[in-house]
Amino acid sequence: MSTVSTSGAKNPACAILGLIILAALVVFPWFSGPFVLHLAVLTAINIIVVNGLALISRSGQLSLGHAAFMAVGAYVAVILGQRFGLPFFLTSVVGIIASMVVALVLGWIILRLRGVYFVLVTFAFGELVRLVLLDFTDITGGANGITSIAAAEIFGFKFDSRASMYALCAAVALLTTWMLKRLFNRPIGHAIDSVAVNPALAESTGLSVHRLQVFSFVIGCGLAGLGSVLQAHYIGYISPETYNTSISVGLIVMLVIGGRNSVWGPLVGAIVLTPLPELFRGAVQTQHIFYGAALILILRFLPGGLSSLPGVLRKLTGKEAA
Amino acid sequence: MHIKALAAALALALPLSATAQEAETLKIGALVTLSGAGASWGQGMKNAAEIAADEVNAQGGLDINGKKYKVQVVAYDDKYQANEAVTVANRLVFEDKVKYIIGPVGSAPVLAIQPITEKNGVIVITLGFTDKALDKDKKFTFRPNVTTVEVAEPQITWLVKSQGLKKVGALFPNDETGHQIAKDLAEAYKKAGADLAATEFFERDRVDFVPLLTRILSKGVDAIELDGNSPTTAGLIVKQAREIGFTGKIIRTGGPATQEIINVAGPDSTEGMFVHTPVNPDLPSTKAYADAYAAKYKHPMNGFSPAFYDGTKLLFEAMKRAGTVTDTEAIAKEMEQIKDFPGALGNLNWTGQEVYGSNHQLNAPFYVAEVIDGKEVIRATCTVSGCE
Amino acid sequence: MDWSILIAQATVNGLIVGLLYLLMAIGFTLVFGVMRMVNFAHGEFYMLGAFGAYFLTTTLGISFLPALAITFAGAVVFGAAVEWSILKPFRHDELNGMIATIGLAMILQNLALMFFGPDPVSMPSIARGATRLGQIAIPTARIYVVIFALAVLCALYIFLKKSKPGRALRAVVEDFEIASIQGIRSKVYYPLGFGIGVGLAAAAGALMAPLFSVSPFVGAAPLLKAFMVVILGGLGSIPGAAVAGLALGLVESYSSLFLSTSTADMLIFLIVIVMLIVRPKGLLGQGEV
Repeated sequence: MSTVSTSGAKNPACAILGLIILAALVVFPWFSGPFVLHLAVLTAINIIVVNGLALISRSGQLSLGHAAFMAVGAYVAVILGQRFGLPFFLTSVVGIIASMVVALVLGWIILRLRGVYFVLVTFAFGELVRLVLLDFTDITGGANGITSIAAAEIFGFKFDSRASMYALCAAVALLTTWMLKRLFNRPIGHAIDSVAVNPALAESTGLSVHRLQVFSFVIGCGLAGLGSVLQAHYIGYISPETYNTSISVGLIVMLVIGGRNSVWGPLVGAIVLTPLPELFRGAVQTQHIFYGAALILILRFLPGGLSSLPGVLRKLTGKEAA
Repeated sequence: MHIKALAAALALALPLSATAQEAETLKIGALVTLSGAGASWGQGMKNAAEIAADEVNAQGGLDINGKKYKVQVVAYDDKYQANEAVTVANRLVFEDKVKYIIGPVGSAPVLAIQPITEKNGVIVITLGFTDKALDKDKKFTFRPNVTTVEVAEPQITWLVKSQGLKKVGALFPNDETGHQIAKDLAEAYKKAGADLAATEFFERDRVDFVPLLTRILSKGVDAIELDGNSPTTAGLIVKQAREIGFTGKIIRTGGPATQEIINVAGPDSTEGMFVHTPVNPDLPSTKAYADAYAAKYKHPMNGFSPAFYDGTKLLFEAMKRAGTVTDTEAIAKEMEQIKDFPGALGNLNWTGQEVYGSNHQLNAPFYVAEVIDGKEVIRATCTVSGCE
Repeated sequence: MDWSILIAQATVNGLIVGLLYLLMAIGFTLVFGVMRMVNFAHGEFYMLGAFGAYFLTTTLGISFLPALAITFAGAVVFGAAVEWSILKPFRHDELNGMIATIGLAMILQNLALMFFGPDPVSMPSIARGATRLGQIAIPTARIYVVIFALAVLCALYIFLKKSKPGRALRAVVEDFEIASIQGIRSKVYYPLGFGIGVGLAAAAGALMAPLFSVSPFVGAAPLLKAFMVVILGGLGSIPGAAVAGLALGLVESYSSLFLSTSTADMLIFLIVIVMLIVRPKGLLGQGEV
């Protein structure tokens, strides 16, 4: 899990081509029907959330409770908005901060654990959050969830159409991806990567593994909150089942298939896997078998995920020493 | 002479040209659960729509004002998840451009898609049990299956009186349907003069009910109510209740598939159990539908299926009366005016004004049966007003 | 109802359920002990075991005990084959191995859904009705399961303590490097360890199939319980799993007397999280964290 690919700007022509393709992908949904726009909104939201998961993964930990932090962000924001009539921007910020605070408290304690133990704790935490949401019916609406969530609104502009919501979510998705790219080009980003590769070595050079991992965890969970707040105000309905363990597993699948070591991983993973269920909608079982097989094959043969494919191809064709 | 021949030729040619003309396709969407738990409900609903479609297509198509429409059912799986249901609704309404949706199965999915369907004038015929699904402002949503609100009170009043029940215990899954049913049942028992004294909620996947049953029995109940639970869960509850020595009455005032409960719990445990049954298998119209279903799909129908067959047929009838397949507002208005419609379930009328604010709930007859030697024996016939 | 009788009944219920949890968890902890692999597909092997028992008894008419044995043997072979063909590259790669087992779980469950459909089927009970010990009622079928479960555990114990392959497995669990220096070949013991671990899961599934129903979804709950038991008892420790399994069963049984089930569930998760933080090795676990 250690080779991290830096930006593909080694070859300027390649980079420009990549940007053109990206621009085309971003712009294309506006010229298609409402259903494609709908899928595009969901994809953008997934990019934001999986970016968060990717950051946590780059620091050397795998979170199986990412959906729980989505839940915290969304529920706090929605409850504040519906009960106290506070505006979207404020409630969203509070919701995201709530996710980050919970992540800070939990992460400070549990990030001492490594590997599978950390995974198991995040899994247990995810289940706990789901049970809490189910049980405290007066506040959370329990199993019925919360309906009629108003559309996102910033400075009086209502994002109540698919096109406008897509604009918002796509902008945020690209922004978060760009932020992560910049992060990993800076010393702190390199420090985070080195923690994942060899914690003991990193510690011995004076880096605080614990603090770096907490930092990644807090920001990563904040991104989960950001994505879910947008999702809640788009779909208009949330419930404990929206944030169960299978969602967390789905996010991991997206991350692994997209690529854990590249900033483009979440983008690729979300773009490929969000619309994919539509092709399979007649045959759900086949879809999941395909996912399971794809996961195993990628782990085995292309551990860097699909986003590492260009690098691998380059190596294979001997064009450039990666 | 020539004119007569010409007239004869024209008379012959007209029907020929009518049948030679291509029937237009009328797409009906099915937004149902086809995978996972709840798949049997969803399959039953999809198949019901398909059987109704087959019937009209066999006659050349649905005849609206002389124009024939071939009915096609476009089905997608919502995996019983609200978010998926929203995606499917988007696909059906904007990609496939349907104006009629059979489904969804679950309460959360129907609430989640109503913003889209109501805004776009899409008629929805749903199973969703929540009382929030129907509303005076929700002009396009209809429900053809009776829910706890309709069936609980008449049945419970009859049962409390005829069996002398005082204290009842019940277990419910910890989800939206379970909580809704718990609330409705508590009220119904209170009105009938008994007390739903012990209520337990459990995680949907639970299979071991012995601790919960121990707690319920310690409160001294004389009956256990099973409504709200899937047939397998209900069967496990019955089996385990008898295994820890419960000898009181067992009742289930809602939900079909009693046979499955008997399969799981065994005929000894289920002897004397009182159950709700939405179908009277001896009623000729129901039997005809059940046979047609078994012939086409090679396995017996799900208990809710006839309701959706009737719902689809009511939709076709409303289209005929309104004379259009595109003006859904007119069709919805015609639909709620239909009275005494002969359906697979019997004589059908719409009801619900008092409870929901609109008459979009189907009032079909239903029954209380006693399980004797592994078979249901109908003991009372009921409508919303009462049982006898 | 009298409190002392209620508590006695809850104790009996709790011990019986605890034994079932132990059975679910023991294969899981064995696999972790041998291969340091968290097997997310554990529940699906349980489910396959349940289906195996169902088909052998109802379709082929074989009686229960031989069906159990055949199911166990079949699962061991199948598990060994899966380990050798799919999981071999991940033998020393904990995290990726775990993710690979997530993929495996998805494949197994959906294959089962494709072949068997989502509706549950029920197996005829081994016995009906209740056995009474004074004022306490115990479902007779569960008594049989307890007896068979204890038999399986005894067999496992004898295997691990007395037989050569068993002792080799234990050596691998204790210290892999020294074991390999001693000549214990990973080529054999990894598939064997995995096979026996999932074989035990399948045996648990087969034992519980007549008690509860059989469907492609029955694997989720045993996986969850196995996680919890193994976290509490220690990843890789079989005695730990035994103690924790029984304890979990008792705690659940007692707390459902006094609290609502969801509060009881939350409490138990909280205990699990606290345990992971305070003593991640679990009560009796070994190995670094």
